[in-house]
Amino acid sequence: MKPLIDLKNIVKVYDNGVVANDGVNFSVNKGEIHALVGENGAGKSTLMKILYGMEKPTEGEIWVNSDQKHFNSSIDAIAATIGMVHQNFMLVPSFTVAENVVLGDEPLKNGLINKEEVLKITKDLSDQFGLFVQPDAIVDSINVGMRQRVEILKTLYRKAEILILDEPTAVLTPQETDDLFKAIRILVKQGKTVIFITHKLREVKEISDRVTVMRRGKMIGTVDTKDVTREQMANMMVGREVFLDINKPKIKRGEKRMSVKNLSYVSETGRAILRNVNFNLFSGEILGIAGVEGNGQTELIEVITGLKPAAGGTVLVGEKDVVNSTPREVRMRKVAHIPEDRLTNGVAVRSTIEENLIVDRYFQKPYKNGVFINYNVVKKESEALIKKFGILTPTGKLPVSSLSGGNMQKVIVAREFSSDPDVLIAAQPTRGIDVGATEFVREQLIQIRNEGTAILLVSADLGEVMSLSDRIVTLYEGEITGVFPDASKIDEKELGLYMLGIKKQSAGEMEKYL
Amino acid sequence: MKNFLKSKGFREVLRILLALLIGLTLGFIITLFVSDDPIAAYKAFLFGPVSRLNRIGDWLEESLTLILLGLAVCIVFSASQWYIGVEGQMVLGALVSGVVVLFVPLPPVWRITLAFIAAMAVAFVWAIIPAILKAYLNANELVTSLMLNTVALKLFEYLLKNFIMPEKARSLSSDMIPDELRLPSFIPNLPIFTEVRELWMKQTSVTAMVYVIIAAVIFAYFLLYKTSFGYELRTVGSNKKFARFGGINVNRTIVLSMTVSGIFAGLAGVHLSLAIYNRVMMGMSFGLGFEGINIAILAGNNPLAVPIAALLYGYLRAGADVMERTSDVSRELVVVIQALVLLLVTAERLLPTIQRRISDQREENNNNNKIKDTKRTLKGDPNES
Amino acid sequence: MSLDVVIRSVLSALFISSVIRISTPIILPALGGLIAISAGVPNMALEGLMVVGAFTGVVVSAFTGNVWLAILCGIAASVLIVWLMAFFHLHLNTDLFIAGLAINLLCSSGTVFLLYTLTGDKGNSASLASLSVPNIHIPIIKDIPFLGTVLSGHNVFTYLALILAILVYIFLYHTRFGTHLRAVGENPEAATSLGINVKRVRMIALLLSAVFASLGGMNLSMAYLQLFQRDMAAGRGWIGIAAVHLGGRTPLGTVLASVLFGFSDAIANQLGSLKIPTQLVQMIPYLTTVGALVVYGIQKKRAAQERMKKYQRENIDQLAEKAVESE
Repeated sequence: MKPLIDLKNIVKVYDNGVVANDGVNFSVNKGEIHALVGENGAGKSTLMKILYGMEKPTEGEIWVNSDQKHFNSSIDAIAATIGMVHQNFMLVPSFTVAENVVLGDEPLKNGLINKEEVLKITKDLSDQFGLFVQPDAIVDSINVGMRQRVEILKTLYRKAEILILDEPTAVLTPQETDDLFKAIRILVKQGKTVIFITHKLREVKEISDRVTVMRRGKMIGTVDTKDVTREQMANMMVGREVFLDINKPKIKRGEKRMSVKNLSYVSETGRAILRNVNFNLFSGEILGIAGVEGNGQTELIEVITGLKPAAGGTVLVGEKDVVNSTPREVRMRKVAHIPEDRLTNGVAVRSTIEENLIVDRYFQKPYKNGVFINYNVVKKESEALIKKFGILTPTGKLPVSSLSGGNMQKVIVAREFSSDPDVLIAAQPTRGIDVGATEFVREQLIQIRNEGTAILLVSADLGEVMSLSDRIVTLYEGEITGVFPDASKIDEKELGLYMLGIKKQSAGEMEKYL
Repeated sequence: MKNFLKSKGFREVLRILLALLIGLTLGFIITLFVSDDPIAAYKAFLFGPVSRLNRIGDWLEESLTLILLGLAVCIVFSASQWYIGVEGQMVLGALVSGVVVLFVPLPPVWRITLAFIAAMAVAFVWAIIPAILKAYLNANELVTSLMLNTVALKLFEYLLKNFIMPEKARSLSSDMIPDELRLPSFIPNLPIFTEVRELWMKQTSVTAMVYVIIAAVIFAYFLLYKTSFGYELRTVGSNKKFARFGGINVNRTIVLSMTVSGIFAGLAGVHLSLAIYNRVMMGMSFGLGFEGINIAILAGNNPLAVPIAALLYGYLRAGADVMERTSDVSRELVVVIQALVLLLVTAERLLPTIQRRISDQREENNNNNKIKDTKRTLKGDPNES
Repeated sequence: MSLDVVIRSVLSALFISSVIRISTPIILPALGGLIAISAGVPNMALEGLMVVGAFTGVVVSAFTGNVWLAILCGIAASVLIVWLMAFFHLHLNTDLFIAGLAINLLCSSGTVFLLYTLTGDKGNSASLASLSVPNIHIPIIKDIPFLGTVLSGHNVFTYLALILAILVYIFLYHTRFGTHLRAVGENPEAATSLGINVKRVRMIALLLSAVFASLGGMNLSMAYLQLFQRDMAAGRGWIGIAAVHLGGRTPLGTVLASVLFGFSDAIANQLGSLKIPTQLVQMIPYLTTVGALVVYGIQKKRAAQERMKKYQRENIDQLAEKAVESE
């Protein structure tokens, strides 16, 4: 039997040279639930974006139902009966559920929207596929689980036969996940085909028929789910990491600098994103958090640095609890932060490089001069930083927008490192920057670690985490699942099991190493 | 020099000059259609303001109020807040300063000083409500400031009609400010200047507020570009999230951006009632608010460029006045030109489009080369895993 | 004059009729503003567009003698001008507010300029023999006591305003395009993902808003009065915008808020005879708008806080249970 979807030899190379998909062959049979797994950067999202017409493959063919397709946009994919539910929902908050379902293609009667038909369509689809929704509820007021079902109904309304779900359970509570799975089974029973992207291997075992594993842009293999264990999948997902040639002298760690106890965080949509997180940071040590993106790393950092409020717990720096403080108060305790999203938080692109370098210190000596800022000092210090950190620019008075990504990151690093922090929180410090800058940033991290700073490193690049960290914890679904006091002695496959929630250390086991 | 030519600042100036040229040319074309003697009319427009002393005086006076308003708007726009309450702040400043000078029993110098302070204070406070609403409730500051502008104007009218206007007034105005309480002329009363002074005072009434305004320009510049407060303002305006991330108190900065702008708007009001009109009357402020916004935009929110923009617009206004009086072309033409210039200057895509196309093309070529290289390595990649 | 005299005159048919008349040139631009805001492109130039409509209508009716042609031309002129603004914003990336400001200036000064050029008079167009629209006396209704005075005898634009209000409601909530328009205003990304052309929708929204604004302007110059005065709109374009916000951005709310503004204008004079200062009365709708925004803002904030607290409570309970389990 020919597969319903057949992606042949897909290659996708982005403008910056990144190879997201490298000769991938991927096929899906009609009526199956097919899981697509891989850790960060494996290329699964890219592959599905290509299938949904959001990206064009650099090379390769797309075959749907034995017809070759060329998608110029998602509209073409939708016409080919492919539907996709993204992680960010595309709903209009003030419209009702039913209005959102039919948005863009509303049924008419005498030229006006047939409201009864809209409700009926929604209710019928909802009943047929077991996707419970309240058709006349305003989307703004319903919970995340129902919103997701609305997105699914949208695809069904457009006659999707193939549904792609991108990390659907990332935003759901356990109960909502069960409901989703029930719905998926009904969908399939009625002839639909479901592809879902995930990194949660328990779910893969629970619901899928077949699973495809990707790693670093390549297809590793496709197997029947019943024939594979979670450990085996994890092994396929986490491959032989490229270990970095870094000179990291073994030093003895010093005093405790930060103590995170029972930290919890609840999102605006009601999900518990962090649950009783505990760990300590020590001077002269890099603690790496290994985990697939979306397990709470972002929120953990936002809470620690004062950007978001915690639901419970404490973050002690020295003797002071900084949880729920302002960002300035946290910085005053000598905690520096390289943010995940440099364009949003890390820099102000319309301001000059100099102005970006002083945001955390403009009100202190030697910059402060009464109510004035001494811009001579600013210039001198900035020049020194530009030189020291190799920022490629003729002058510090140019706007940051004139810099490349790598140089922007250098500005951020220069600022945060030069504040002589006791604690440095580094989130995705080498994401999206060129090789030279990457090397540089890593070297600098090791350097200040040698000089006594306590560092918390969060990175989607497992190789980076394993090479740079002294100690590693794994984070899965907002909980610390394991701690590994000596990073040089871990096997990445083993680490993968903890990252993917297959194995878990008990609180007692972890206590003395956290 | 080469760096300057390539710099953003130079491009900005170029863009403004280009827009001006286009605007003036279009204005001339319109003049050709409507006037019997377009050349004379346009000559009067372009050279009128400097042809006679009293015209120069008019030019300066108008521009001075606009400078203060432009400064006020610079402050608030630098923080990227769409607050347009400068008109209301100005009007109340005019009211308060006029009232103090007319009625508060203090010796003249103290009265005038108090008038200044009171005007700035009232204008400062007037912005607090929309400011707090924006900072803490994210209420649309455009709408709230617009509403309060009208409230300010109505309040002005109410107070004028019921408490300030003398009983037998023939127009909607207070008494004139008596001579001894008026601001002195801007030429100091020193022996060496006597002739010049007489000449100027006969033809114009440009007051010593010129010096206050010069000081205000310098003050605004320092405030915005040399103080830590100015840094906070501009950083919040550049990227609010970054400002917060870096530790700046964003809410407080937003509130201060609107209230501090009041200081300058209040001074603009003082200029109206104590320098230009020498009384408190209806209609003093008509349309000036938007002019101030226009000037701040043209000046790119830079206080040092505000006087240039204000003098430029003031010049055009004065020129249009002369043109109207000596020809058959009405002075509204100049506002039409101003509107066109504003559109052209702020059309970000206009000049940069050409520049960007060249650099985009270069980048595309680079990327194509990069992809070719990557593909080459892929094909010969021995590391299949 | 005493209180009861005032009350009696306020409740009179004549007064209510005058409120309807006065509110018309507010309702019209407000509806235009509503359409634009709903599409996510608030139109700051309504004031200027009204003036352009008022002026063009007068001039064309004087020169062609045809009132209906004049109205068409008035609409066309405003639409053309707003197209300029929309072009600069949607395609040349000019900030919408600044473009609106510029167009406002262009309109108010451009109309005076042309007025002077055509008539030699800067204040008004009295020298032009412009026309006005007829008043409509509805048969049967006009003879009903009280209601007759209130409902019949208004000019064409007033009835048009009321009909258009209903049409705008139907348009926004019952037609495809109107629904897409609202979607574009609230979540342009979602709209794009569904194949809706956001730029095109926004352009059309702005063009429509100009139509309403020009009708409002013509109501002033061809019904209320029979000539054009400089700055004829007298701030009604801005009041229209305020009415949209005061009315919570809904058609019914917008109309009611517009009537509130009209009412306060009408009643200010009446109350003046009671020694209540007119200006203070006139301030009320403006202060109310600010108050409404405060209320809306607090409501939103409180709802979010309540939700957060609820979630935290639920989750702490869950976590506590889990902690107990694992021990």
